[in-house]
Amino acid sequence: MQTMLTKFESKSSRAKGIAFHPKRPWILVSLHSSTIQLWDYRMGTLIDRFEEHDGPVRGVDFHRTQPLFVSGGDDYKIKVWSYQTRRCLFTLSGHLDYVRTVFFHHELPWILSSSDDQTIRIWNWQNRSLICTMTGHNHYAMCAQFHPKEDLIVSASLDQSVRVWDISGLRKKHSAPTSMTFEDQMARANSQQADMFGNTDAVVKFVLEGHDRGVNWVSFHPTLPLIVSAGDDRNVKLWRMSETKAWEVDTCRGHFANASACLFHPHQDLILSVGEDKTIRVWDLNKRTPVQSFKRENDRFWVIAAHPEINLFAAGHDNGVMVFKLERERPAYTVHQNNLFFINKEKHVRSYDFVKNAESLSMLSLKKLGNAWIPPRALSYNPAERAILVTSTADNGIYELINLPKDSSGAVEPTDTKRGSGTSAVFVARNRFAVFTSATQTIDIKDLSNSTTKSIKPPTTVNDIYFGGTGCLLLCAPAAVILYDIQQKKTVAELAVSGVKYVVWSNDGLHAALLSKHNVTIVTKSLEQVSTLHETIRIKSAAWDDSSVLLYSTLNHIKYTLLNGDNGIIRTLDQTVYLVRVKGKSVYCLDRQAKPQTITIDPTEYRFKLALVKKNYEEMLQIIKTSNLVGQSIISYLQKKGYSEIALQFVQDPQTRFELALECGNLDVAVETAKELDRPKLWTRLGSEALKQGNHQVVEMAYQKLRSFDKLSFLYLLTGDTQKLTRMAKIAEHRNDYTSRFQNSLFLGDVENRIQLLKEIDLYPLAYMTAKAHGLTDECQAILEASGLTEDQIHIPETGAPLPAPKAIVPTHESNWPLRATSQSFFEKALLGQVEALTIEEPAPIASNQLDFDEESKEEMSRSNGNLMADDEDEAGWDIGEDIVLEEQEGLITVDHDDTAAGTSEAELWARNSPIAADHVAAGSFDSAMQLLSRQVGAVNFEPLKFRFMEIYQATRTYLPASVGLPPLVNYVRRTLEATDSRKVLPIIPRDLEYITTKDLQAAFATMKNNVLDEGVVLFRRILHTLLLSTVKSKNEVEEAKKIIQTATEYILAMTIELERRSIEKDPAQVKRNLELSAYFTKPQMELPHRQIALMAAMKVAYTKKNFLSAAEFASRVLANNSSGKNAETARKIKVNGERNAHDAIEIEYDSFAEFEICAASLTPIYAGSPLEQCPFDGSKYKPEYKGSVCRICNISSIGSPASGLRLLAQ
Amino acid sequence: MDPFSSEGELLSIHNAFHQGQLTTVIEHNSSALAPENVIKAQVYKYRARIALGEAEEVSAELEGEDSPELAAVKALAAYTTGNTSIAAADIAKVISSSSKNGTVQVIGGIILHLEGKSDDAVALLSEHQGNLEAVSLIVQIRLCQNRTDLALKEVQAAKRWAQDSLLVNLAESWVGLRVGGEKYQQAYYVFEELAQAPSTSTAPTLVGQAVAEIHLGRLEEAEVALQQALAKDPKHAQALANAIVLSVLAGKDNSDQLSLLRNTMPDHPLLTDLEQKSELFDRAAAKYAAKITA
Repeated sequence: MQTMLTKFESKSSRAKGIAFHPKRPWILVSLHSSTIQLWDYRMGTLIDRFEEHDGPVRGVDFHRTQPLFVSGGDDYKIKVWSYQTRRCLFTLSGHLDYVRTVFFHHELPWILSSSDDQTIRIWNWQNRSLICTMTGHNHYAMCAQFHPKEDLIVSASLDQSVRVWDISGLRKKHSAPTSMTFEDQMARANSQQADMFGNTDAVVKFVLEGHDRGVNWVSFHPTLPLIVSAGDDRNVKLWRMSETKAWEVDTCRGHFANASACLFHPHQDLILSVGEDKTIRVWDLNKRTPVQSFKRENDRFWVIAAHPEINLFAAGHDNGVMVFKLERERPAYTVHQNNLFFINKEKHVRSYDFVKNAESLSMLSLKKLGNAWIPPRALSYNPAERAILVTSTADNGIYELINLPKDSSGAVEPTDTKRGSGTSAVFVARNRFAVFTSATQTIDIKDLSNSTTKSIKPPTTVNDIYFGGTGCLLLCAPAAVILYDIQQKKTVAELAVSGVKYVVWSNDGLHAALLSKHNVTIVTKSLEQVSTLHETIRIKSAAWDDSSVLLYSTLNHIKYTLLNGDNGIIRTLDQTVYLVRVKGKSVYCLDRQAKPQTITIDPTEYRFKLALVKKNYEEMLQIIKTSNLVGQSIISYLQKKGYSEIALQFVQDPQTRFELALECGNLDVAVETAKELDRPKLWTRLGSEALKQGNHQVVEMAYQKLRSFDKLSFLYLLTGDTQKLTRMAKIAEHRNDYTSRFQNSLFLGDVENRIQLLKEIDLYPLAYMTAKAHGLTDECQAILEASGLTEDQIHIPETGAPLPAPKAIVPTHESNWPLRATSQSFFEKALLGQVEALTIEEPAPIASNQLDFDEESKEEMSRSNGNLMADDEDEAGWDIGEDIVLEEQEGLITVDHDDTAAGTSEAELWARNSPIAADHVAAGSFDSAMQLLSRQVGAVNFEPLKFRFMEIYQATRTYLPASVGLPPLVNYVRRTLEATDSRKVLPIIPRDLEYITTKDLQAAFATMKNNVLDEGVVLFRRILHTLLLSTVKSKNEVEEAKKIIQTATEYILAMTIELERRSIEKDPAQVKRNLELSAYFTKPQMELPHRQIALMAAMKVAYTKKNFLSAAEFASRVLANNSSGKNAETARKIKVNGERNAHDAIEIEYDSFAEFEICAASLTPIYAGSPLEQCPFDGSKYKPEYKGSVCRICNISSIGSPASGLRLLAQ
Repeated sequence: MDPFSSEGELLSIHNAFHQGQLTTVIEHNSSALAPENVIKAQVYKYRARIALGEAEEVSAELEGEDSPELAAVKALAAYTTGNTSIAAADIAKVISSSSKNGTVQVIGGIILHLEGKSDDAVALLSEHQGNLEAVSLIVQIRLCQNRTDLALKEVQAAKRWAQDSLLVNLAESWVGLRVGGEKYQQAYYVFEELAQAPSTSTAPTLVGQAVAEIHLGRLEEAEVALQQALAKDPKHAQALANAIVLSVLAGKDNSDQLSLLRNTMPDHPLLTDLEQKSELFDRAAAKYAAKITA
């Protein structure tokens, strides 16, 4: 027997009527006890109770659009209610016996009722009148329903008949009157035959007889001309009708007590029926065979209802109501890297590529898996074998192991499937899977041929198993999850979490989320709990973000939780979805139709929180600056977490800002907002906070605002601000506040004032005392005179030494000192722009001492550094010979070997397979490599290449620890990853062309820009050496490599010239040479900004040496390249100046119009047509006398030696 | 019943030994073992200690033992401490007297191979009676001889009777790393499976994973695995050696790693090989020296 998926159950007295709300998750239940309940079945809460009927309520229905429902009961009454105002609007009376069912019409304002008084009635609930009474049944009318589209009614009665009524007449009568011709009216009058009472509104169309006992329930099919009825003869009958007749199609037999109600499945070819035999039964509509049945122990079923939209049903029984699903709607799916594999509603296996955002065609059809009505439950994928494991709940659980076809060519039936029975099955290793059978509580470990290699008894009762990391399983027991090591057959860890249903691993495999109905528990891979959270709404699925944020979906929300348990809502959902993958702002999910969907979310909030948790302030700042993160929740979150200073950044409301500012001790903001709000309470609080911090200036301001004069005075006393204290005294005088004056004079030590004050208020004794104590005898005398006494008439106690006014030792009032350290967070600093690392600034270029070019040219350089290969030069100074003769080389390097003895190492194969020097180096065959280089580029000086030789050699061998006690196995790293043919394998060569262009070349260019030329020469030469021993993948790359070689050569030449010039610059005897070299420096083909540097330098040298004409010439070339900016300005001046004094002080050997090359050895020109020699590798030019010596540029080749050209491409 | 089979009581010590969990081997509680298995467990413990550098202690402890197993172990200990010629003579004696003994075959095979008598080693090992360790040694020796074809045959033969065994899986992936192509990925899966399961994650298995990743061209992943291996055992010579290789491939400086390896294992094949090649380079380059003129 199949278990149904019960979603909600209520306990009450007998439930007789049920109605689903079409939109909201509500269900109305009318009870035998006269109550009508309104439940939220999703939350499981009772929303309302309606109690006005007297006696059992048997029928109930929601209106489709209005906030209304209708009920009918044994008090003969039909009541229409508003669930908004929660009261009965009105009562329709007329029936003369129990009302059995009530239904609203789908569009007209009608209510249909059936009653034990044998009538069926139609009521208009708008004008609250009875509009039609249908008679004909001669026993209780048990059920009557409108057709969902046509003007038909079907009714069932204990008279054993089912009747179909035509109510089109009633509709015409009650619709707006239309003009009709006389003929029409005649025709209409004639066509409608009146029933025996002359009633033409509703006429019996068909009477269906076939049940042997009374009929309890009847329903129309939503789209087909079918009717289903249930009767006391225990049968469920299917009827078909045409325009003219109706007939019985078949009977579904199986109920062994009265069948109470029945209906058609709204979307599938199924019939559902309930009966007093305590069962719910599901039948195949086409075959009329039982598909499923569900039995309750004690409760007879009375009624069943279907949700009009979603896959939900409700059945009422003796003790309440249950809401259930017929099948799981969770599609079977699994995610591997960038692919989702899932099974759609047609039971086809498909995949979805997250990178391409594309769904594949169907790959397999699983039609034959299990039962037609039971969808596959789960899917497990094995990337090593490209196989899937599918489980289904059919036949008490079965699994199938199927290999996926190489490409998805359509829904083919799988050929080579292996199957068995089991509740769940998951891959646990490359060649193993685990099958769990719930009934026997065993886990079998099977190999790919489906034979059991190991059998495990779980340590406790287990509900389900999941992959638990390689070689491990997670066993979900009712109250715990167990991490179980398959190999050692032991429990590795156990965690008490109850009811875990799903396990979702993070992308890095370090964490897993355990999902139960209402809880998400995050654990590490060793099953230590990280955090847990509770949801009132059911949790459906979860997926991990790449930054270890878990996104999970409930029935109606997508939410997130961080590892520490901080969570929040991302968005609401219209329909339930199953999250499969999170990538940036996209959440990929499957809907209940098993269609992949992409939902765009705003991850700002959780990213922000994550950044906060990780204290990644840069990112926080980035988020604050770029997105509008607002809202009370984030502020309270920040406040709660003790990040008030950050929360401050989000708040506009001054009151909140003030609170936050006080909390984080940010007085500036507090003062600002306090000024804005200007409320005494705030100033008081600000004052005390400022006092705590020692910021007496703010304290002062607060006291001033509060007009707390006494406090102010005391503050001034404390800070030693006598000036202000004096002013306070004046103010006190103004205010006629004697106490205050007294106090101030005390603080100030102003005895006169004090005496004066005491006199003013007639406290002469005190005035006298004061004067006396301070030894002011004149004053004493004056007081005595004023009071008319003499000294001997008064007795005064001994006075001590007069109290001197305290003196401020440190003028504290001048500035706030000492302040309590309020740590300014990194974050605040960042906001204030004090953290430089946040702004990406180019590091200041090293000041150039000799070449001074200004900002502008630097900018140009950095700009053009990006696209190096822009200049295309057609000089064919260097060619790659395509037709190198290989045969003779092979003779040199082939090692004869005996086939029976030790084999050829892979390294030797490399040397055999390739004519490229680098491959020979990798093979360790240095001799042959050198021969190749010698032949290809005339290499003679190998010492500079040693580094590259060793580098290549090292990179091609790995050391695999194998048997204990033996040295590691040496393996050979290939660049031909796919090849297994020994004639095709070739070694990997480190630092490929891409590395050279993106790293080495950029570094080398930077030396030019930064004017560290000697280093530049080294770097460019290293590029030449690296390229000499390299391989490339295509002809294009050969060209690219050639260009780089050429570029490096030009730069080395240029730098050599300039370095040479600098070495003789100071020598007055070499002025001419100096000028010449500076001119030659402009000759090599460098990048434009670099050429500009050379030109500027040449121009300046020429100008300072009074070679005005040359200087002007360089100036015009500078201008030709760039005619604006500071450089151009200088150039323009020099040009004007040069043209005015059009002569050169020193004649040099340089003619900018002549075609010439520069000899890289002598650094002198070789004019076109003169004989020259070249370096066979880099193509640099030399005067003939240098033939045979080592190239000055590359340091490798012999100048002018014959060579076939460098080979970089294997084929 | 085969004590190493999946139900056998020596499985855990056997697997621990071959996964490189040597301390687990030494600490293994063998008190409850069947009498015929005690000696086998003991041999594993001694071998683990030798591998951990306690060869001299083992040598001393075994003084006077003359059962073929322990005599073989003693020879291995002696060989490891450097007394190679004496050890070779000793093991030759043991082999001649009891060449059917599994332990003698394995240790004899190891010493013979180390002595350079690989064919003799294979001949001895081939006499095994369903001993997987002998198979894996043959595979390794064949690979050293660059006879991938023979190694593959050996693995496939063993797979027929011991498909699920750790050693067969390992041996198959050793071969896979030579064959290349799709086999790289399969070898990777084997190592990854071991390296990522908490109970079998050790420096050697992680290095195995890293090596497979290097061959697959996944340098960043390999680096992660090597870091994990070095975190488990900072002086693991193979991890260091492969880290050096990886640095070169990634174009990074590796001089620190080189000196680290020089300190931990001065006779590592990588270092000796590099030295040889450096000399070879100098010799080869010298041939052209005459042609160099300024």
